[in-house]
Amino acid sequence: MKTLLLKSFYLLMIGTLIGLQPVKAQTQSQAQQTTTIRGRVIDKKDKQSIIGASVVELDNNNRTVTGVSTDIDGNFAIKVSKITNQISVSFIGYKTFLTKAVGERRIINVQLEANANQMTEVAITGNRTVSNGTGLNIDARNSTMASSTINAKDLEELAVTSIDQALAGRLPGVDFGATSGDPGAGMSIRIRGTASITGSAEPLIVLDGLPYETTIPPDFNFGTADDVGYAQLLNISPSDIKDITVLKDAASTAVWGSKAANGVLLINTKRGITGSPIINYNLKASMSVQPKGIPMLDGNSYATLIPEEFMNATGAPLDFLGNAGQNKAFQYDPSDAFYYYNYGQNTNWLELITRKGFTQDHNISMSGGGEKAKYYASFGYLNQTGTTLGTDLTRITTKINLDYTVSSRLRFRTDLTYTHVNNTLNYDKSLRTVAYNKMPNMSPYLYDEYGNKTSAYFSPTSNIQGSYPDTYNPLALANTGLSHLSGERITPRFNIQYDILPSLLVSTVDLQFDINNLKSKTFLPQIATGKISTDNSVNLASDNDGDSYNVQSKVNFIYTPQLGEKHSLQALLSLQTEDSNSASYNATTGRTASAFLQDPSSPGINSLGLSSSQGESRNFGAVIQGQYVLLDRYILSLNARLDGNSKFGPNNRYGLFPGIAGRWRISGEPFLKKLTFLNELSLRLSYGEAGQAPDGSYYGTYTPLGWSYNGRASVVPDKVELSNLKWQTVIGKNVGFNLGIFNSRIKADVEFYQNTTKDLFFKDLSVANISGYNTIGLNIGTLQNSGWELGLNTIPIKTKNWIVGFDFNIAQNGNKLTSVSDFYPRESSLGVPGLGKFKSFLLVGNPFGSFYGFKYKGVYKDKDATIALDDAGKQISDANGNKVYMRYNYPAINYTFQPGDAVYEDINKDGNIDYRDLVYLGNGVPKFTGGFGPNITFMGALKISAFFSYRWGYQVINNVKITTTNMYGVNNQSTAVLRRWRNPGDVTDIPRALLGVGYNWLGSDRYVEEGSFVKLSAVTVRYNFPKSFLQKLKMNSLSMYLTGQNLLTLTNYTGQNPDVSTQGDNTPFSFPTDGGLTPPSITYTFGLTVGF
Amino acid sequence: MINNIRYRALLLVTLLLAGASSSCNKWLDLKPQDGLVKQDYWKTKEQLDAAVSGCYASMLDGASLPLTKYMFIWGELRGDMTVSANDAAAGSTTTTLSTLTRDELDMQHTDLVSTNTLTNWDAFYEIINLCNNVIKYGPGVKGNDNTLTQAALNAYIGEARGIRGLMYFYLYRTFGEVPLKLEPTSSDSDIKPLAKSTKEQVYAQIISDLKYAADNTVISYGNIADDKGRINQYTAYTILADAYLWNEDYQNCIDACNKVINSGNYQIFPALTGQFTWYNSVYITGNSVESIFELQFYAQKLNPFYDMFVGNKSPKEFKAADYVVNGDLFGTDLLDAFNHDIRGSNTSMSEGTGAILKFNLASTASTTYQHWFLYRYSDVLLMKAEALTWLSPGNVTNSTAAINIVNQIRTARHALAVVGNTSINVPDPTITLDVSNYIFNERAREFAFEGKRWFDILRNAKRNNYANINILLNIVSASAQPDKQQSVINKYKDIRSHYLPIYTKEIQNNSLLVQNSFYQ
Repeated sequence: MKTLLLKSFYLLMIGTLIGLQPVKAQTQSQAQQTTTIRGRVIDKKDKQSIIGASVVELDNNNRTVTGVSTDIDGNFAIKVSKITNQISVSFIGYKTFLTKAVGERRIINVQLEANANQMTEVAITGNRTVSNGTGLNIDARNSTMASSTINAKDLEELAVTSIDQALAGRLPGVDFGATSGDPGAGMSIRIRGTASITGSAEPLIVLDGLPYETTIPPDFNFGTADDVGYAQLLNISPSDIKDITVLKDAASTAVWGSKAANGVLLINTKRGITGSPIINYNLKASMSVQPKGIPMLDGNSYATLIPEEFMNATGAPLDFLGNAGQNKAFQYDPSDAFYYYNYGQNTNWLELITRKGFTQDHNISMSGGGEKAKYYASFGYLNQTGTTLGTDLTRITTKINLDYTVSSRLRFRTDLTYTHVNNTLNYDKSLRTVAYNKMPNMSPYLYDEYGNKTSAYFSPTSNIQGSYPDTYNPLALANTGLSHLSGERITPRFNIQYDILPSLLVSTVDLQFDINNLKSKTFLPQIATGKISTDNSVNLASDNDGDSYNVQSKVNFIYTPQLGEKHSLQALLSLQTEDSNSASYNATTGRTASAFLQDPSSPGINSLGLSSSQGESRNFGAVIQGQYVLLDRYILSLNARLDGNSKFGPNNRYGLFPGIAGRWRISGEPFLKKLTFLNELSLRLSYGEAGQAPDGSYYGTYTPLGWSYNGRASVVPDKVELSNLKWQTVIGKNVGFNLGIFNSRIKADVEFYQNTTKDLFFKDLSVANISGYNTIGLNIGTLQNSGWELGLNTIPIKTKNWIVGFDFNIAQNGNKLTSVSDFYPRESSLGVPGLGKFKSFLLVGNPFGSFYGFKYKGVYKDKDATIALDDAGKQISDANGNKVYMRYNYPAINYTFQPGDAVYEDINKDGNIDYRDLVYLGNGVPKFTGGFGPNITFMGALKISAFFSYRWGYQVINNVKITTTNMYGVNNQSTAVLRRWRNPGDVTDIPRALLGVGYNWLGSDRYVEEGSFVKLSAVTVRYNFPKSFLQKLKMNSLSMYLTGQNLLTLTNYTGQNPDVSTQGDNTPFSFPTDGGLTPPSITYTFGLTVGF
Repeated sequence: MINNIRYRALLLVTLLLAGASSSCNKWLDLKPQDGLVKQDYWKTKEQLDAAVSGCYASMLDGASLPLTKYMFIWGELRGDMTVSANDAAAGSTTTTLSTLTRDELDMQHTDLVSTNTLTNWDAFYEIINLCNNVIKYGPGVKGNDNTLTQAALNAYIGEARGIRGLMYFYLYRTFGEVPLKLEPTSSDSDIKPLAKSTKEQVYAQIISDLKYAADNTVISYGNIADDKGRINQYTAYTILADAYLWNEDYQNCIDACNKVINSGNYQIFPALTGQFTWYNSVYITGNSVESIFELQFYAQKLNPFYDMFVGNKSPKEFKAADYVVNGDLFGTDLLDAFNHDIRGSNTSMSEGTGAILKFNLASTASTTYQHWFLYRYSDVLLMKAEALTWLSPGNVTNSTAAINIVNQIRTARHALAVVGNTSINVPDPTITLDVSNYIFNERAREFAFEGKRWFDILRNAKRNNYANINILLNIVSASAQPDKQQSVINKYKDIRSHYLPIYTKEIQNNSLLVQNSFYQ
């Protein structure tokens, strides 16, 4: 650590010294001769004198030598050290005036011109450049990369609390996973699918040119804490962002090394611009409403259903006194007041824990600057309350970006970002699910044995539904349980730029420190679980502390020789280092004396866990990159990165990852010059490799056990040395076209790609237990990921009053394993997958996502219907002439179907439903995904924009339907079960209720649905107040807007939300499962932006 | 000027590159900070001691199930004294059984397939790997630490080989043929397929390991806890005797038993010892004078028995079979409540509830740290008796000596002469099978629920080429589900079914491993 700091410090010193030395020499030699220059500064228009204008002597490198300011009459006198220097006169709101070399002039009068229009001009002119973040600035039209960029303007109207939420659906080929909707919850971002089957698939975030850590270090041992809490590590305030670029092809991401194999998100924040101070205030106020979920049974229907389940399962009526008295919950006997009142209610648990959510987000920023120094400073405050009781988020962000120009050859920048987060979540993230399942005849508050309602929560130790953690009183847990995360993150960053040879060789040195401290506290009160006082989970308190410290350095040399009109070349050498440290500490105790003692250090209680961890990793990268342009038409880009990472063994520590990319601007060819409507037609080709490092170190470690043997310390080898672990390498190939026609009113980008991941990591590959280990990490095979993307931007109407634009994007992606270790399983489960489960297979070379199950054919209406039929539809009889009835999984289980049971299609007509009857049911990988939306501007002031996202051609497993209609347990069910089969002869689609027995809810097409949807994600109406109105109010800008999110979903899906993507690891056995009981909340936002 | 700057720039780049490349490799060589790395281990004798201690301490735990739970299940569930407590409730239970309880029921009903998680041997091979580590890397410590004497090193290696021998002995009795993994897995290059060794090879390895342990471990560690909790010479001889007996090598068994008996370190509590005194010292406190080898659970490392036998879950995982509860094993004297076997009700189990009490009489979830009893002195005596009986069948002197040993224990335990409706008669020493059964039946009482019953049954059944297979058939058919009784008997007539199948996962992940032929 120390060595790194020292080294970085030396680098800074060297850079600074080289920059300063010539300057120092000059000032000394010129010290003796001074010349006094006098003059007066007036306004060019009204000839009034300007008071306090700054008059500065500048040397050859535009470095300030000395300076004075004008007096009350606009007069100045300045002693100039050298007559070849020039004088600069500047004042806020005026264009800066330069005198050129002073020469023989001794009196210089200056007329300054107001710069009212200057700023807007600057903003409009100048080509947009794209960058892969390393330092090369390449004109967007010459870019060889597969990338998409989105500007902050497009985002600022959304009521989002973090960037990931804002980007969802707006970029082709970028997929955003569903969020839990709780405050602070994050999203998973996938660029072009995933290139790995375990480990992180999140893209690398590069903030202002340096990687920005967004995941919690794997060494953090956060015990029981809820992992969604950490997603908001990406908490850069959205209003500080200037633009976001997504790098997709391996040739462009390769320069970022091992963390970039899943793609790169480049985020640039706003910086100060020359001019008088601009103060901006942004307000976003929003309200979220949780839509109605699926209708559930009320207390009375529930209390009818459960005894019926018992009756059907055991053949005998429910014994109200049995089951340790717990069955009394269904007795409804007024003479037993305790049970009659406590279990005779119609409670809507979900309504009890749901509320309206409110968000207020304030952001004030100030920016401006002069010739020498520019600044951007912002302060943000966000306060959000979630739609579930007990969830909220408070966030404070500040950012200061400073730019200082020491001379025309030496500049430095320093940025400081600070974030404070306070996030409260429910103790148990399945709170809403428990509320759905909870028996509705139970009372949330306790009734005493005389039938009087008390103010205490009704939390029995256990009832017929079981005990904590399976079930609890959700209202009590939401109100009294606690899971609190607070965090402080400070990211100071220093940057020096020195032109070693002006406009030829530039060097930059970057140093960034990232200090991130997190604390998570949880408390599980006894009043929510009802556990008996000797149980360890009574008043369970935990405290987790995680600190990480990360230092990154980057030294760049950029060479841009002047090769004349026809050629241009940019070359970059970049040396990057990163050193990450993390430490965590965890303490858990149970049985604190009271619900008010929520700290695990309270004395006299039962310690359940005390652990700590510490980790460090380092990597080093050297990048060479060059871009050559010939005749503005032929562009070639080459790069190579040498990576070294401390996580690997000495044999595989370094990896070299080359890349090559080219662009041919076909429209630039002379033979196409005649087609004047054609602005741009380019073909891009790229090939690149990128390496990825695993999570942990290769070292085999010996760890002390948590207990001793007869008082002697015990040490065991707990991890195998992974000396054969190799870099997981993504080899990406990309073909892209850019098309722009009719003055770029229609622009299209098309990309085709194929990413092959070699030496896939698999973290927990199961190995034979004779090794002494269950699983180890290995490189196991090759994954192929391919697809295409299309992005279309059009402006069909552009008149004086109207501008109508329409954007559209579409993408497709598929995964397959082309080779895999023999140790890797080939089926998701052996034999019949079981109740509520589906089966999937790994077929090497076939795409992921297909799942298999039974065909559901309704319900056996009576005994006759359960007789097995042969091919010809005739009833099957055995040798003795007895009828053969349909069976399930003979001989292993051998269950004979009864009237009222689910009918599964007997595909092979053998009278036995088993794995031979499994059929293909669907595929969870969408054929297309994307988004589209119009934006309409009227008179430059009123703007209406809408954004739709869609996903097309895939099947979803409706897990909610499984759990709410299976009638297999004592959980509450949806009102659909009111249609259930009850008596022979009933013809219905819902089988009979059977408690804990039977096979009525095997994975079948009954639960598989087409998931295609089109969703109106957001609509915004914005009004910008006209300039004339603003000048009266002395304002720079004023606009108001209204946004609605998640307003409408068009789909045939009968569940709550078809927008589910595969959760967790991207294995061949995963498919999308909808477990959401309520659709995403509808949010209305009012926003206000004021600028002075 | 320009040249000057060029020169400086060049210098800077050179400096940077040189600095980066030379120190880069060192900079990237970063050892984990919260654990010792393999390269830094095996340097001092304290580390060696901690590694050996790690072998024992790990026996208190296990990867998928605790090792001691496997020892209990493999030794009891296919026998006739322990049943899954879910069994009786199966008809009326309304909750779905967990995979584990279902597998337990299947094993009890001798309905075994290779997906049964109880056939997973991971806990045993985990310990074997730890022992292999000590055996391979332990000798290297001597080069780094001069204070480690050769004798001390050999003693440590002896302990590791003793434990390894014991682990293979369990596997040998349970699976028959198993892969002999004798090298540690210390890096991913060591993960290689390994075929099964023959029974003879496994047996030879067990004997060789235990002999080494007997020759090299200490006689005493100088304190009782270590003498009962670690492998010393007599522990090694005890295990060795058990292995010899299993393989019908009677003379060697008697010799090994005599080593232990002649040491004078162990004795049986005298007759008329009160039940509570005996139960309390042998089972609750542990490390008694009767004890040879016990796994030393303690307050910081609780045993798994509370949840298995007592816990507040209802029903419990295991309980005593009905005939044991009804007094058909230990007997009840209806006229004199004080006349009872001190091993019976309230020691081994409760006649009232059927709960197995041997390991938890008064313990609660947080005080359940009774030891696991691998060997007690009575085991050595009864092993000797059994070996004497079969050394030269029909030899009256030997048989009489054997009967005397049994009687000595029966007297000490105040065993009842009438059990159920049958009276227990001292057998005719000339009828070897009767003497053998006399010992066999006494072992059931002496070692009830100590994970030995199934091995006793199988050892007696397979003796002399399955001459007495009926002892096993009667027992398994009694514990099978009524409708499957005939098929179970037919199945068990095939002697290959007496060993467990190899767990599916092992077959999948070890290409050289072949499923035991009965289960193919």
